[in-house]
Amino acid sequence: MKLVFNYLVFPGFLFSAVVGLFSGWFDRKLTARIQWRKGPPWYQNFLDILKLFSKEVIIPTQAKFTFFISPFVGLCAVVIVSTMLGRVLLDPSESFIGDLIVLVYLLVIPAIALILGASSSGNPLAAVGASREMKLILGYELPFILSILTLIIKTGAIKLEAILNHQMVYGSHIASFSGVIAFLVTLLCIQAKLGAVPFDISEAEQEIMAGTLIEYSGPLLALFKLTRAILLYIMPLFLTILFIGKDISFKFLFLKYIGLITLIILLKNTNPRLKIEQAIKFFWGPVSFLACVSVILALRGW
Amino acid sequence: MLFNFYPLFKLDRLSGFISLFIGLFSLLTIIYSFKFMQGRKRILQYYFSIILTAVFSVGAVLANHLILLLVFWGFLGLTLYLLINIDIEETANLTGKKTFIIVGGSDCLLLLGIAIIYYLTGTFQMDKIKISLTTDYRLLNTLAYLCLAVASFAKAGAMPVHSWIPDCAKDALVPVVAYLPASLDKLLGIYLLTRISLDLFVMSKTMNLFLMLIGAFTILAAVMMALVQHNAKRLLGYHAVSQVGYMVLGIGTGSSLGIAGGLFHMLNNAIYKSCLFLTSGNVEYKIKTTDLDKLGGLSKAVPITYISCLVASLSISGVPPFNGFFSKWMIYQGLIQTVGSTQYIAYKVIVFLCLVAAMFGSALTLASFMKLLHSVFLGQVSTANHELSNKTEEVSFLMWFPCLVLAGICVIFGVFARQVPLKYFILPSLPKFLSTSNFLGFWSAGLATFLIILGLILGILIFSLFKISFRRDSLFLGSETKGVLETKVSGTEFYNTIKELGFLRIIYTKAEKGFFDIYEQGKTLIFGIGRFFQFLHNGILPTYLVWCLLGMLVFFVLVF
Repeated sequence: MKLVFNYLVFPGFLFSAVVGLFSGWFDRKLTARIQWRKGPPWYQNFLDILKLFSKEVIIPTQAKFTFFISPFVGLCAVVIVSTMLGRVLLDPSESFIGDLIVLVYLLVIPAIALILGASSSGNPLAAVGASREMKLILGYELPFILSILTLIIKTGAIKLEAILNHQMVYGSHIASFSGVIAFLVTLLCIQAKLGAVPFDISEAEQEIMAGTLIEYSGPLLALFKLTRAILLYIMPLFLTILFIGKDISFKFLFLKYIGLITLIILLKNTNPRLKIEQAIKFFWGPVSFLACVSVILALRGW
Repeated sequence: MLFNFYPLFKLDRLSGFISLFIGLFSLLTIIYSFKFMQGRKRILQYYFSIILTAVFSVGAVLANHLILLLVFWGFLGLTLYLLINIDIEETANLTGKKTFIIVGGSDCLLLLGIAIIYYLTGTFQMDKIKISLTTDYRLLNTLAYLCLAVASFAKAGAMPVHSWIPDCAKDALVPVVAYLPASLDKLLGIYLLTRISLDLFVMSKTMNLFLMLIGAFTILAAVMMALVQHNAKRLLGYHAVSQVGYMVLGIGTGSSLGIAGGLFHMLNNAIYKSCLFLTSGNVEYKIKTTDLDKLGGLSKAVPITYISCLVASLSISGVPPFNGFFSKWMIYQGLIQTVGSTQYIAYKVIVFLCLVAAMFGSALTLASFMKLLHSVFLGQVSTANHELSNKTEEVSFLMWFPCLVLAGICVIFGVFARQVPLKYFILPSLPKFLSTSNFLGFWSAGLATFLIILGLILGILIFSLFKISFRRDSLFLGSETKGVLETKVSGTEFYNTIKELGFLRIIYTKAEKGFFDIYEQGKTLIFGIGRFFQFLHNGILPTYLVWCLLGMLVFFVLVF
């Protein structure tokens, strides 16, 4: 019963959705200020979601079951991730062997849901978006795995509890040479996972009209938006646990979170969109190289 | 006991569960064939070979005598050849020949390995053999191990002796492919590898390293090839190779979790791979092609096939909570354990490389299955099968039922991994290696599934409570009304950017020319030798006389 509460209310669905929507508002506000605009009020994102829920769903003629179920599956997967992360933060002994791998794999599910949903709609623009999304996953997955490997080498286990404990004893991972490189690499991968500029290639509103999301409307679209919002909350949290988890008291956690999300928003606002082949080359080239360097440094014990 | 075959045959937990699954796959394949083979030629030969294959496979698995194992192994090669040749197309015959040469060649190595083992130990009885790779007679021991390992690689399809599998997948009949290369050969090959690595030999670190490298290389190379295929069956064939990499990697780790993971992956792979082949067979039966460029939007026409294929695809890509994820996760854990047990930094580096290859290979697998799903079942309806894909018309019960059963097993083995397959099949077969303490604090797939299902139910409840209205409408294409719908985005174009990327382009061009195919290379070599002798035999008498004279001279020089 406690688990169901954890899953649905805190730190699962309800909590992470609220935090995620606030982060979304923070993103919009900061972006507006950077562009010298006023920006929306704090409740804007909630209104957007509510409005979408009051609309009807338009289903393309060819689409069926997959089109309908995909947004739900994606949302459930991120909620499970947020529950796992939240429970570990509240009580590190909730962690289990290899949960890091489970998290990495669960975090791919939203993207899979997006791809399957898009390609089931039968829209050619959605298909273009889906193919780009998949290629982007291929791109960032390699450096992402390598930077996680850095952590495995440093702590000797693939368990969140071990990673947190190691940082409590020896200081945050970011405070080492290998750690700081791996942190930067992971930050870039997270930017891509969030589908934020410069890696919003699969949506590319001006080019393929929201690509993967083109056929989605009403509540189904709202579910995807919620998924995105929760991702915006859990990815920085994940990064915090992995690299700057020395002190996880609420105050520091909050500050770190705000800092990371500001970093992500700034990256987003100061870069143009890449082409997909540029993004793949970027991730498989310089970023993977950096990740390899961090792995080697970690093996040397730096 | 009335029939006691003990010194010749032996039933232990490992051979027991493998025989069980051989039986299951045989049954499902035969059910499937009732409809699929209807109205084809050489039906008698087909069923005869299928049943013989099942018998010989069980024989090979239960054999406790190396010569018996060899005999059964040889017969399996023969039935494989016969089964591929059922199809009367010429390409099938060529593929049959290729398969027979590669598998038969590896049987010779098996014979050599067995001979060496007899020389070393003086017995053929498998449960009495225990050869160490770390102590004296190292070279000979290693040679014996390698011979047996290559035989198992050729059967299972690990690189570099893999090249018969993609060809066979494309040219042979679907039930044959689903039965032999996809499931039975995996079970047999990995069974032999496990048997020799755990029971017949005591592994050394170097040999473990060798296995892991072969595994990691197989995973990556084969999946990269799969990514750019244009034919559904050939794509699946490359995956049949790639997945072997995980099993070899798992067994190569030498740690208890890794070996259990490798065995579990073997079982899982046999299940989802034969499911995938059977679904591709359904599509072929219905549309008469498996060319990805010509398919599309079939999910409406064949819903059950689609669901089975979706489940199997997600399993093979290692998406939690399906079975493929669980076994991969165990293999990763095994790799980490191996790292912890060694001091050498170079060894650690290689194990980490293998880990990265395995994890990244999993992402690539996902990518190529997204392509498969998109271009066969989802995506735009292709013009060729337009009238077919608009109404729901599932293939015959006999054909979708095996797919559905296999997909169901995928879900059960994933969600209840600890309660069913690990508890009854995998762990009891490795008694020496495992204590339950290794398995505390597993990830509970059942719980996660429960949560996902709970979420789905709540979501659907909310949808029905809020009375959300639905409307069907045509596709939205912005303001571009013309030309967009005609330009079909086929899944085969998904990864063209990757194919064109720098040095990958060179490798892909080479690979398409068969540069990495051991069969093609061997063919060139043998024809080269043949051409040399052809050159010598020019049919002119003086030339032969000169050769005779030279030979005599050499003879005299040597004798006197």
